[in-house]
Order: sequence, then structure tokens, then C-alpha cells
Amino acid sequence: MFNRVLRQLLYAAALILAVLVLNFLLIQLAPGDPAQVIAGEMGGANEEVMAAIRQQYGLDKPLLTQLGLYLGRALQGDLGMSYFYNRPVTELILSRLGPTLLLVAAALGFAMIVGTRLGLLAARNPRGLSSAAVTVLALVGYSAPVFWTGLMLVILFAAKIPLFPVAGMIDVVKQGGPLMRALDIAHHLVLPALTLGLVYLAQYSRLTRASMLEVLGADYIRTARAKGVSERRVLNHHAFRNALLPVVTVAGMQFGAIISGAVLVETVFSWPGLGTLAFQSILARDYPTVLGILFFSTLIVIIANLLTDFVSRLLDPRLAGGR
Amino acid sequence: MVAITTVSTPTPTPAPAARGPMAEAWGIFRRSPAAMLGLVILILVTLMTVAGPFLYPVDAFEIVWAPLTPPGQEANIPLGTDNLGRDTLAGLIAGGRATLAVGFAAAAITMVIGVVIGSYAGFYGGGVDNLLMRFTEFFQVLPPLLFAMVVVTLFQPTLVNVALAIGVVSWPQTARLTRSEFRRIRTLEYVSAMRAIGASNSHVIWRVILPNALPPLIVSATLTIGMAILFEAGLSFLGLSDPNVMSWGLMIGSGRQYLLDAWWVVTLPGLMIFLTVLGVSLVGDGLNDAFNPRMRER
Amino acid sequence: MTFRTGLTRRTLLAGAAALAALSAPLSLAAQEVQTGGTLVLASLQKPRHLNAAVQSGIATAVPAAQIFATLLRYGETFEPEPYLAESWEYSDDAKTLTLKLRSGATFHDGEPITSEDVIWSLGVTKENHPFSTMLEPIESMEAPDPQTVVINLREPHPALLLALSGPLTPILPKHVFDDGQDITSNPKNNLPVGSGPFKVTQFEPGQHIILERHDGFFLEGRPYLDRIVIRQYQDANSGVLAMESGEAQMFPLLDATRLIRRLEGAGTMVVTDQGYAGIGPINWLAFNTKNPALSDVRVRQAIAYAIDRDFVANALHAGLSKPAIEPVVQNSPFFTENVERYDFDLDKANALLAEAGFGEGGQPLTLRIDFIPDNEEQQRAVAEYVKAALAKVGIEVSVRSSPDFPTWAQRIASHDFDMTMDQVFNWGDPVIGVNRTYLCSNIRPGVIWSNTQSYCNEEVDRLLNEAGVEPDLARRQELYAAAFGQITQDAPIHFINEVPYHTVYLQAVQNPPVSIWGTMGPLDEVWLQQ
Repeated sequence: MFNRVLRQLLYAAALILAVLVLNFLLIQLAPGDPAQVIAGEMGGANEEVMAAIRQQYGLDKPLLTQLGLYLGRALQGDLGMSYFYNRPVTELILSRLGPTLLLVAAALGFAMIVGTRLGLLAARNPRGLSSAAVTVLALVGYSAPVFWTGLMLVILFAAKIPLFPVAGMIDVVKQGGPLMRALDIAHHLVLPALTLGLVYLAQYSRLTRASMLEVLGADYIRTARAKGVSERRVLNHHAFRNALLPVVTVAGMQFGAIISGAVLVETVFSWPGLGTLAFQSILARDYPTVLGILFFSTLIVIIANLLTDFVSRLLDPRLAGGR
Repeated sequence: MVAITTVSTPTPTPAPAARGPMAEAWGIFRRSPAAMLGLVILILVTLMTVAGPFLYPVDAFEIVWAPLTPPGQEANIPLGTDNLGRDTLAGLIAGGRATLAVGFAAAAITMVIGVVIGSYAGFYGGGVDNLLMRFTEFFQVLPPLLFAMVVVTLFQPTLVNVALAIGVVSWPQTARLTRSEFRRIRTLEYVSAMRAIGASNSHVIWRVILPNALPPLIVSATLTIGMAILFEAGLSFLGLSDPNVMSWGLMIGSGRQYLLDAWWVVTLPGLMIFLTVLGVSLVGDGLNDAFNPRMRER
Repeated sequence: MTFRTGLTRRTLLAGAAALAALSAPLSLAAQEVQTGGTLVLASLQKPRHLNAAVQSGIATAVPAAQIFATLLRYGETFEPEPYLAESWEYSDDAKTLTLKLRSGATFHDGEPITSEDVIWSLGVTKENHPFSTMLEPIESMEAPDPQTVVINLREPHPALLLALSGPLTPILPKHVFDDGQDITSNPKNNLPVGSGPFKVTQFEPGQHIILERHDGFFLEGRPYLDRIVIRQYQDANSGVLAMESGEAQMFPLLDATRLIRRLEGAGTMVVTDQGYAGIGPINWLAFNTKNPALSDVRVRQAIAYAIDRDFVANALHAGLSKPAIEPVVQNSPFFTENVERYDFDLDKANALLAEAGFGEGGQPLTLRIDFIPDNEEQQRAVAEYVKAALAKVGIEVSVRSSPDFPTWAQRIASHDFDMTMDQVFNWGDPVIGVNRTYLCSNIRPGVIWSNTQSYCNEEVDRLLNEAGVEPDLARRQELYAAAFGQITQDAPIHFINEVPYHTVYLQAVQNPPVSIWGTMGPLDEVWLQQ
């Protein structure tokens, strides 16, 4: 068990290193002279200033030296300076990480809780109306572009039913204690989390339905039923626990995709997370920030994968007991 | 943006039968109303983009009328105009061509990379498998949209680059699926028999195993097209698509500013994407059921 | 906030708003001033940092004008008024300017503002600000006492007073910034200690800037507001929704004309186009005069005649943009009617093209047009219109998009273009914002917003340079009028429209920023009616 964890961690470390090298190579591929980009952001500059910028950002050194310096700094958490925002990329990203994680967690939580419940409902009566509804919902949820769903919600909630705010995360002007702030954030969170969550809700309900049907046919459920365990208990306890497993596994596998979805949803709702930062940085050609975000989100995916692995083991008696 | 249908592994396929599995699958497919609906949607969308330019010959980039004319106001501009006064219907027709083209091209790239890597890994196993799978996992941890954004930004947003970027970020799933299929089929008797009579590795990979691994790959390819279309739309929405080629995503991206005053500039292209992806998903589901009769019982 | 969006309220107030829109910008504080409250400013600009001494542009200008005081300020006309300097005087030869600072003025950290700080700040700006012509003629500066600054000029420099105002020359605390670090990348630029009416307490890039009242501000009783929050929105729609819901109370620098019209109709808001005379923003079509066809002045003139400014203003900009006809905006003291206007005339266009050997029966002419990305209405829409308009005189135009601003800037700065849409600001005085586009000496490949047209007319250079050192205003006006007349004749640029920047504010906002610098000047007089 301990060895396994160690091996996984080492492997994760190797992946992280590989991502850093990829990041560095991508910086090198960036067209145009970064010094020119920085000078442009300052409002124009002459040759001396450009030379000074090159020196400041280490752009005048040989490539391998630059790679070594980059890796060394990155491992200490220094991903360079943002060309655009004139502050360390790591600081910039850390300030945006919370909102993105909050959005993703809210969307996933919503999708998992409601999705599995819907799937369960549908599985009770595989040929009934609710089952058909889940299938339709799943198809609609998958087929509608997430940013489009968001925009439709903006149209609906901006003018027609002004129940929820359609932009931003907090009202900085509102005074009040931590509880008020939390409520304010939750209020702003509703629409973005709903938009992002709908995609996965659709998938998880369908997945739950399918795995429930499979599990319900399994021997141990038949045994449970034969032993006279109530149907409710069979469904909710024995079967559901097992049906949850594929949902957790898929959610873990999809984490990269979920972050990608968050980029679009954040852009629609001006949610101040990594996604809006990525969007702005790409428009400004702020490569250190863009690549820093790619690195951090990859890190999140790697951590999420490790966690998923762990949770699956907790959920699956066979996996947990077997070792 | 990951395919919802986790492609189910079919029950062990017997050696190629006399009546092809394709014909049998079509029989099942034909009887599913959902799958046929999907097929009809896809045919209609394709017809619209192919025949549209002849039936409605308006240049999608030409300024034809006052900006943001609502649908139905002018008889000759049925779906209104965008913020520059360009015909929305013409945009939908021309945009569909680009969007579908990118979708198909990206799916093709995804399949080629995924199948090649997956089949070698699955067939050879051992060190080759290990190496290729580590490579695959590396690509799997990169958040696909962010990575594609970076690639498109670095190499200019042309349609070709967009398709390539989507392909480059989407192939790991296909590779994994192919690998597991190959690992399963590799151990079947007829494969061992082929190898016993001295067939070369490449012959076994491409001529023996691949045809038998096709059904789940076809399903996967179909779903990949849908995913690629969503992907293209997402990139265009973020302003990362070829600005000189009309596409549905581009229409949404540039119409977004006018959302509050002109619902149609965003709603209509979004609806087209939705319908197309829905069609693709329905067909994909239908194919999945058709190739796996056992699963259909659910 | 009582201004929740409500349809009934809107319709009821629609009539009242129409009246208010007419009178409000001029209505001065007849009522008793109420102090306190928070003003939320909706903003689409994303500042890199807040130190305007080393960063040009409107994004930094708005917060910087609150954080830093300048020596002088301007009202609604181009007449300098006292600010940190309570008086100033030119020597007879106009080569020495002596300013007296207010006594008792302090920085946000409580340290006194002295002539040492002023001299150091002007020096830093002179060395680092992208507008190098602004303070270039300064030869030396002296501080005979802590309250007196003497600026010695190499030659008369009438643009100097304007350069000492608005966002252009902020007064920085020397004891904070003179720390041996490169000022352009000093981390202190993010939350600087300033000298103005408000101090910055929070700066979250891409989200908001919080400015709190500086209690020790040197103008008694000011500022009236307790706090200004500059909230950054991703797009104009979100900002407009925030205005409608009452989340924001003022939206300056809004140029999306449909949204301006929408807010105008909301009934609870006032819309004004005042407050932009200082930046003087012009939307224009620039020609690369090194292009073989475009090197012929007749081709450039023909293109100018083929473009209908009225169509741009009315069809594309909802009737809200004013035509631009020369290098300065109509509100500039140097505006002249005496220029070649190029009013829409297809016959003249065709005739000129024929003379040049193009057009019908002549050689085919194909040109490419660029535009600044992410500005649909002002740039892209006009570029697409130019394409359609020139097709009518037989010129085939292809529109080239740039994926992002730096790409466009690089293409234009390296002179890799035929024609481009562009937006250039006057920045108050021709010496600061106008000359750079036309002087032969400013043809500098690699630098955006230099003379990327490669236009060179020695007569124009002589007039512009002479006007730059002419202390007499009337004589200066004559020289610029002559220069602008010649420039429009040569048509290196076809002026299309003034960018329709508008400020929208809720009716509760009193003393709205309508000075020449608008929100790029201090908002110490703004107050909220409770």
C-alpha cells in the first residue's frame, strides 16, 4: 500500500516535470519577440528599453541555460513575471485559483448529487417516463455548447427574471461580515455552477442509470433481495454505493475537461477565475501567464487523479479489501 | 466535452462471420427511432450546408442590410442580419460548412493518432505499451481546451490549425480504447492462428485485429465528431478561430456583444451546433446499441 | 440602492430622463453638497499597474488621476486651474516656468509633498513615459525652497501646462519610489503611495480597484466621496447590466453605441459625451504611403471621397459619433474648419482614380485593410464598410483580421500593411498626441503609433515644429490650421469619426466628470445624492 502511494507520487512528479519542459518549449515557439510585446504594453519603447527588457526577463541567454533557469525557478514556485500585469505569475494565478476551484466544486457537487439521484430514479423503472426523461436530458446536456447554455441563461436572467447576478463573484461594495460575503458569493455562484453542472449532471444521471441496471442484475443484489432486505435498502444502500463508483471514476478522468468547461463558463459570467485570466492573457499575448495557467491546471488534474484513485478505493470494497 | 457514452466493449467477437456484423448492425440501427432521428438531422444539416449556397446564394460576408435587423422584418432576409448587417441565414449556411469540416477533420486526426498509438501499445504490450501509455497519460492530464487555446494562439488561428489542435488534445481516449480492444482480440484463437502461419506483425495489426476492433472505434469516431464540433465552437467563442472563415462559433463569438439587443445573432448558430451535435450523439448511441445487442436491453 | 431594474419605473421616468439628459451636464451644484458614500465605476479597461508616470493609456489614467495629484488641473475648457500648484508664472521669454506649491500638502503616508518630489517625479516621467515629447524641452529644474519649483526650458513649450495635468505627470513620493529599483517594473506600482484625493487599498487585476478617501488631501473638505470602486467587466454588456441593476453608478468611456442608446432609454440614467476633449479620440483610416498605388496622392484622395462618413455615423454608430475631418477633434482649441473635408462624392472619386490610371478601364487595384481587433463597432465594422464602399469605385479590398492586439500592432509598426483602421488620441495638445503621426523624423519602424504611414512633407514639419514652440495662442492656432490644411490635402490619413465615448451615470451622481479629462482627472468634486 505504502509503496503504491510512493510510486504514484513519483510518477506524478515526473509528469509535472514533463509539463514544465513542454511549457518551456511552447514559450520558445511563441512567435514574435516577447520584448516587443512587453514594450507594446508599456505604450511603445525604443531599442535601449527593449534591450533592458530582454535582460530583465533573461531573454538574452542561450536556450539550454534558459531551460535550466526556468526549471530551477519553477520548482521554487516562480513561473516568471506576467508581461501584462507586471506581477509574478504565481501570485496572479494563486489569487484566481480559489474562484475556479469553487466553481468546479459547486458544479461537480451539484451534478453528482442531482445526477446520481436522477439516475437512480430512472433505474427503478427502466422503461418508464423518468428513464426516457433522463436519456433526453443527457443528450440535451451533452449536445448544447456550455457557453451557449450560459449565454441563454444570461438572456433569461439578465433582463427577464433578475433573480441572480449574471456577472462577477462578489459585490465589493456590499458591507457585512463573512456570512454576508459567503451568501453574496453563493448568490453569484448559482448561474455559473448551474451552467457548468448541467453538462455533467446529464452525463452522471445516464451513467448512474446504466451502472445501476448492471448492478441490479448482479448476484449479491439478488442475494440481498432473497434475504428479504427491503427494496428501498437494496437500491439505496447496496446498489447505489456500487453505482457511484463509475461516476467518481469518470468525474476524475474528466477533470481536465471540466476545467476546460470552466474556462468557457467563467468567460460568459465574468467569473474571476483562471479561465477569465487565461482568456485575457491570450488576448494580450501574455505567454508566461498563459503557460503558468496551463501548468497549474495540469497540476490540479494530476492531484484530482490521485484523489479519485483514493476515493475509488474507499468506495469499492473489492479494491480496498483486495490489498 | 468528453463523450458521454463510455463505449462499451462488445461481447467476444467470433471470427468474421459470413453475414457481416455491419449488415446486422444496420438492421438494429434502422429499428431505433432515436438513431434514425439523429441520422435525419445529420442529413438535413449536411444538405443545408452543401445545397444551401445554391438555393440561397448570398455571400456570408457581404453587408446586405442595416445592422441587427431582426428575423422576419425584411422578406428577403428571413433570419435577419448581424452587427455588421450581414445575412444571418447565409452565415449559418457558410458557417456550417466550416464547422462540419473542422469537426470531421479533427475527428479524423484524433482517430489516426489514437488508433496508431493504441494499436501498437495493445499489440506489442510490455515496454512499448508502457512507453506509449505514459506518453498518452501525459497528454491526458493536460486540460484539453486550455492546451488547444495555447496551441492555436502560438500557431495562428487558421482552420487547419484549429483542427490539428483539437486532434492533438483529443486522441488519448481513442488510444486507450484501441489498446484495450487490441489486448482483448490479440489473445483470440484466430489471431494466434494467423501468427502461427507466419503473418507479419503489421499484417496482423492492420488486416486482422483492426477490422475486428472496428465497431467500438466507429462509435468512438462518431462521438468524437460531436466533441470536435463543440470544441471548435468553444475556441471560436473565445475568439480563437479563423476570422476570415465564417463558422457557427465565430458567429456566436462576435454576436455576443449584441446579446442583450439582438437575441438571434447568438441563439441561431448555437441552435445549429446543438442540433448537429445532438444528431451525431443519437447516431453514435444508435451505433453503440447496434454493435452491442446485449446493451440494447437496457 | 433604489435603482432596481423595473419596467414600470423605466417607462415612468423616460420623459424625465430626456429632460435631464439635456440639462444635467451643465447643472452645477446648486444644492447642498452631501458627503460620503461609495461610487462604483464600471470599467472595461484593464490596467497593468497604477503608476501613470511610466505607463500611458486610459486604463491606468482613470485610477492614477485619483491616486496622484498633478500640478495643474483643467475644467471644461482648455484653461489651466490651480491644483497642487496654487500659482504659476512664465518668464517673459516663456523659457522659465515658476510654480508655487500649496503648503501643508501631504502624501498618503503623511509625508509632506515638496518641490523635491515634484522635480523627481517630472524627471522620472521625462525619462520613462512613452510620450517623450511631453517634457522633452525641459533642460533643468530647481527647488529654491520646498514650496517652489522652477522649470527651465530649452525653448518655449506651450504644451507644458497641459502636460502638467490630468493623467500625464503624476506627483510621486520620492522617498517611496526612489529605492534603486527600475521604476517601470517596480512592484510598488501596483499599490502606490500617492498624493491625490483617494488612496488605493486594493487592486485585483481584472476584478476591481478600491480607492478610499484620503483624509489629509490638500483641498479642504474634498473629496466628497468616501470611496470609489472601479469594477472591471469583461464586456460592455456586463457593464450595462450592472448599471441597470444599480450595481454600478457610472460607466465612463463607453463607446458601444447600441448600449449607450439602451441606457439612454432606461430613464434612470444620464448620458453625456462631455469629458473627452482632452484625450480627443479619433477613429481613422491610415494609408501606407510606401504602397505603390497608395503613394499616389490621387488614389488616397479618391478613397477618401468614396467613404461616406454619414453612413458610418448613422448606420454603424447609431447616430452617436461625430465626423472627424482633421488631425484634432472638434473640441480642441486648434480645430479649424479650413481643411479639405472629402465629403462623400463618388464622381470625384472615380475621376481621381481614372487620372491615376485605376478604376474602370484602368489597372485593377487590390488593397488590404487591417483593423484593431476586439472593437467591433469602431474598427471592424468600419473596415468591412470600407471594403464595401471601395468596391463601388472598383477597388477590391480584402479585410485582414489580427487575432489579438499585439499582432495588429506588430504588423502596423513594421509597416506591413496597405491601409489600416486605427484609433489615435490627441492627448490635449498636438505636441503630445498629434505630431507623432505626421513628422518625417517620427518614421520609426517597430514603434506603433509613430508615423507608420511613412508620410513626409517638410512644409508640414516646419509648421508643426514652429507651432510647438510658439507661446502666443492665436499665432499657434494659425500655424496648426495651415499644417492641418496641408495634411488633409496630402491625405496620408482619412479621418472618419470621433470615437463616441460617453459617460453614463445614475441621476443620483452630482458634479459628473465633464472636464476636458473627464474621469482621467480627479473626481474630488463628485458627490452622491442620498
